[in-house]
Amino acid sequence: MSAIPTTTVSTMPWAVDLADVAKTYKGRIHALRGVSMKVAMGEIFGLLGPNGAGKSTLVKILMTVISPSRARGSVLGHPVGHKPTLARVGYLPEHHRFPDYLTGGQVLEFYAGLCGVGRADRKKRRGELLELVGMTRWGDTRVKSYSKGMRQRIGIAQALMNDPDLVVLDEPTDGVDPVGRRDIRNILLEVKRRGKAVFLNSHLLSELEMVCDRVAILVQGVVASQGTIGELTEGRERYEIELGVDRAPIDVLRELSPELAAAGALASGEKIEHTPTMLRVATGDATRVQGLVDLFRGRGVVIRALRPVRPSLEDLFMQAVTDPTTGHVLDPGAAEDRKNGGGVGGQGGATARGGVA
Amino acid sequence: MTQTIALLVDAYRELNAKKLFWITLVLSGFIVAAFACVGLDAQGLKILWWSFPIPMFNTGTISLDLFYKFVFVNFGAALWLAWAAMILAVVSTASIIPDFVSGGAVELSLSKPIGRLRLFLTKYVTGLLFVMLQVGVFSLASFMVIGLRGGAWEPRLFLAIPIVVGVFSYLYCISALVGLLTRSTVAALLLTLLFWIFLFILNSADAATLAIKTDMAGRLTAQEKRLVRQQAEVERREHWAADLLNEKARAEANEKGEPEPAPAAWTPEQLDAADPTLPNVRGERGRLEKQIEESTDNIKQLKRWNDGFVIAKTIFPKTTETTGLLERVLVSDSDLEKLAKAFGGEERRGRRDPDRPDSDLEMERAMRDRSVGWIVGTSLGFEALVLLATCWIFCRRDF
Repeated sequence: MSAIPTTTVSTMPWAVDLADVAKTYKGRIHALRGVSMKVAMGEIFGLLGPNGAGKSTLVKILMTVISPSRARGSVLGHPVGHKPTLARVGYLPEHHRFPDYLTGGQVLEFYAGLCGVGRADRKKRRGELLELVGMTRWGDTRVKSYSKGMRQRIGIAQALMNDPDLVVLDEPTDGVDPVGRRDIRNILLEVKRRGKAVFLNSHLLSELEMVCDRVAILVQGVVASQGTIGELTEGRERYEIELGVDRAPIDVLRELSPELAAAGALASGEKIEHTPTMLRVATGDATRVQGLVDLFRGRGVVIRALRPVRPSLEDLFMQAVTDPTTGHVLDPGAAEDRKNGGGVGGQGGATARGGVA
Repeated sequence: MTQTIALLVDAYRELNAKKLFWITLVLSGFIVAAFACVGLDAQGLKILWWSFPIPMFNTGTISLDLFYKFVFVNFGAALWLAWAAMILAVVSTASIIPDFVSGGAVELSLSKPIGRLRLFLTKYVTGLLFVMLQVGVFSLASFMVIGLRGGAWEPRLFLAIPIVVGVFSYLYCISALVGLLTRSTVAALLLTLLFWIFLFILNSADAATLAIKTDMAGRLTAQEKRLVRQQAEVERREHWAADLLNEKARAEANEKGEPEPAPAAWTPEQLDAADPTLPNVRGERGRLEKQIEESTDNIKQLKRWNDGFVIAKTIFPKTTETTGLLERVLVSDSDLEKLAKAFGGEERRGRRDPDRPDSDLEMERAMRDRSVGWIVGTSLGFEALVLLATCWIFCRRDF
């Protein structure tokens, strides 16, 4: 871990502070529709969303690869699009392609050179970062012979070559084996420990859940929800009860307490849901479910399992991409103006499919 | 500066990885070796240690250094560098911009703290490195050959580097534009070659009309000279016939004892009667006058065509003329005449006509009359416009 730069960052409040970022393609495809988000120094921020939600567009706007239709905010204290600031940003794009005539080590030196890193620093950091990503043996081999995972490792090293204060990674674990994923997670945690910010864009929700301090879920160009996982799941905890009977638990409840089953809620108001195998009580408070437990136990019904459940990131994600009125998952793709002059397809309505990544 | 150096080093690595770069360099080596094997002695052409006697082409007619410069300009530069090596260069560099702007690669470059304009222009210039290095090596080797074998150390030989790189850049700007728009190496290569073929056709049309016009002008000059002589012949014969008629009139007056008559103004019929060859001589003059009239009309018509092609060429890059600048620099006008004599010009081709100027020489002079400003200025102007459009697209495009 010694290859991670040890310089301390300034005490600026936000690494990324975006407000009302919008991008419209061809005047009708709304890839981003007023995105606002903040990433603090010293945190790992995860951006997730379905295909075409505008995640890559947002990242590319941050990295000046795409110009926004409108944007306010800053990156490392400078306006979005300020080129010199990029010297302090490390970036690994999705589906990156390094020149295949270069070796892994040359890739690191070349892109560090473009960042303005001096020759001596490049040489020093090249060896350290190759070691960090486990590519020392392959540093002098041309990247065209690398596997996908090896390219990702070199890509991560490339993003760290300029001692960045902000690291922006677009699908960094794509194609990487489990060992590699663990290594990358450890690298990210070490970057965070150094007080730098990591902006992570990934489809792998479990990966994000393991490392991210805060996440934002982007759906059809707008931020559907944003915050720490604790904040996002607050009020959404539940208790699951499995019974040791060969009937549906709800049938047992109807038999023991028809009023409770009919109300679909505890006397204190917590909602009771059911599946063919379990009952779910919408509360994180253990005392609330004791009455229900007493009811079953008092009638000799075996309780096979009683567990508190916190929603996973996947649950939050699925909730964000599900139309609450229809219960169906929203179409992938960006929101697009309808030809008949109707408004922009929104999060809650039917949308045409756009092709924006 | 670190960023520019990084881009230059990367360009070198990219070239180094291209097989065609080394193939072209090896071929250049062979050509320079062949160049060094050819020489000139008092008898004629000399290849290695074999001598091939050529009466008009030896060290007696042209100097050794002029011979080498001529070979360098007409074979080394005009054929190898400006054609064969140029094709290899266009093929080799066609992928540079498409690869640079391909998905997954361009994001990495654009996300660095370097302005788009600077990034693109530096990448563009590094694309010219291929030709710069090739011509540099070739010129240096040729410089050594001419110095060691011809005894003349000619530094102006290195003008081949900017000239050939300039010609290549006329084509490369098209390759860059198409490569940026399509991100396709094949499209960039094909459209660049098509553009080059178009330039070749335009240039050939200009050269052909200019050659015919020059030839016609030479013929007109000869016809005018013949007309002057024919006119003199007609006048001489008319004088002779008039003298004869006057003499005859005086003799008749003497016989009749009349006073001698004053010289009369004789009618053409009377003169023709006195000299029966006069109608033929006059007829020949008439034919010449008609020929001159026809030639003048033809030249006017050819001039119109040629002017049209020249105007069209003004808009586009002038590859052949730009390459020809090297000959202007290395081979002076007087050297040109020496070479024309050495090669025998039209006389060698059995078109001996003392009244007529050497069309090849005249054509060469006509080409040399075209100003460097017109040739290079308008060509670079075209390149600048294409490059401006390319940079504008690159700077504004979302990748």
